[in-house]
Amino acid sequence: MLKITNLSTRVVDSDINILDKFNLEIGDGEIHAIMGPNGTGKSTLAKTIMGNYQYEVVKGKINFDNNDLLKLSVDERAKLGIFLSMQDPTVIDGVSNSEFIRTAINSINGEKTNLYQFIKDMESNMKDLKLDSKMTHRSLNKDFSGGEKKKNEILQLKMIKPKFIILDELDSGLDVDSLKIVSKNINNYLKDNPKTSVLIITHYPRILEYIKPDFVHVLVDGNIKKTGDIKLAHDIEKNGYEIVDGKDE
Amino acid sequence: MVKMSKVIYIDENKDTYKFDLEEDTIIYHYSINKSYDVEVNLNKEDITLNYYYNNINYDDNTYKIRINHNKSNTNSFVYNHGVNVSDNKLHYWVDGVIPKKSENCDCNQDNQIINIKNGKSKIWPNLLVDNYDVNANHSAYIGKFKESLLFYLMSRGISRKDSYKLLLEGFLLNTDSVDREKIKDFVDEINKI
Ligand SMILES: Nc1ncnc2c1ncn2[C@@H]1O[C@H](COP(=O)(O)OP(=O)(O)OP(=O)(O)O)[C@@H](O)[C@H]1O
Ligand SMILES: [Mg+2]
Repeated sequence: MLKITNLSTRVVDSDINILDKFNLEIGDGEIHAIMGPNGTGKSTLAKTIMGNYQYEVVKGKINFDNNDLLKLSVDERAKLGIFLSMQDPTVIDGVSNSEFIRTAINSINGEKTNLYQFIKDMESNMKDLKLDSKMTHRSLNKDFSGGEKKKNEILQLKMIKPKFIILDELDSGLDVDSLKIVSKNINNYLKDNPKTSVLIITHYPRILEYIKPDFVHVLVDGNIKKTGDIKLAHDIEKNGYEIVDGKDE
Repeated sequence: MVKMSKVIYIDENKDTYKFDLEEDTIIYHYSINKSYDVEVNLNKEDITLNYYYNNINYDDNTYKIRINHNKSNTNSFVYNHGVNVSDNKLHYWVDGVIPKKSENCDCNQDNQIINIKNGKSKIWPNLLVDNYDVNANHSAYIGKFKESLLFYLMSRGISRKDSYKLLLEGFLLNTDSVDREKIKDFVDEINKI
């Protein structure tokens, strides 16, 4: 599904280099997790895959389902089925949540969705996520609590139905019960769409207990220094990143 | 209990307006390419004004508004949103006046102008406050839509053009409470930007 080769990035118009000859391959239906210290480039990786304007690809390739992703605009990438649940979802005053999601679905499907069906789907998905139905009409993410913002990202996911999902610190901001609920929603989605692949960015193994990864990678200094399974996540939780520092795979 | 506000739509073709208010009032002022001089007097204690000014600008225009808090415990929330489409001048003069005799007033201005091209836009927010016991806030932004907003919308599959349209509508309608039927020409004009 996704193949990243030798990717190096820097912040546009600066000499801040972030990813450094980064490699990662994710197959259909696989779940990968990336852990790593603050500031090592996890969010940069997520945003670069999505095509964020802040990062410039200096070298390397990103291939997605036989498309050269780096040639495509942000919306074209989304239309291929890439979805980024953001670490810090953007507040957009004046644009209502429902208008936004409906426009997104219409854009992705290339046709107007049936309004009645849309409302029904929104209602049932919000109920599944235990998200207050009032959120439908509020300005996008405006004055949403930290947890509500994260749930709202997953609401969008469920409505838009992507095939590659990046979860950038979904677990930050969610309380214990909410994390369980949201994880259950994602697992149900994956059960219904078994070819969907997931990249989970996290600092804690807890979310990985719910959404079980096939691989756990450790990103340090711009590339993956170690790969393992869930045991690696627990090891990091116990001993910190000392265990990987400087080591090659 | 929710107090009902008086609602005013400005739809005459005058250049100057003066309102002497004695009850809670919402004023919707949606305008296309015009200059204005507006004065609002809050003449009774405990009343609140919400003023929504939204304009689409093409030529050189100046908009002046002055809110006089003539009584104690009066509140004003003034939202001035403009889109300056061409390279012309768009100037906002926004005054909030609170004399010494008016205690415990709340005076708020939110001023924003989005330049589509290289418009020469300026905002002069003035809080003329003579009383210490006041809560006064003002913010001013002049510029383009932030790229981060477009990124978020586009990351959900919405094209740049449609994302822009969503942002423009949100910015220029500015409130859910406005009756779109009453500002039909304005809504149509948004689609021409
Ligand atoms: N637009 C930018 N301008 C300047 N520096 C940036 C920019 N974006 C990222 N950086 C820097 O690049 C580095 C990587 O940032 P990134 O957000 O990818 O880290 P992260 O691994 O996601 O960290 P965290 O775990 O704290 O979320 C950081 O040092 C950050 O300060
Ligand atoms: Mg991050």
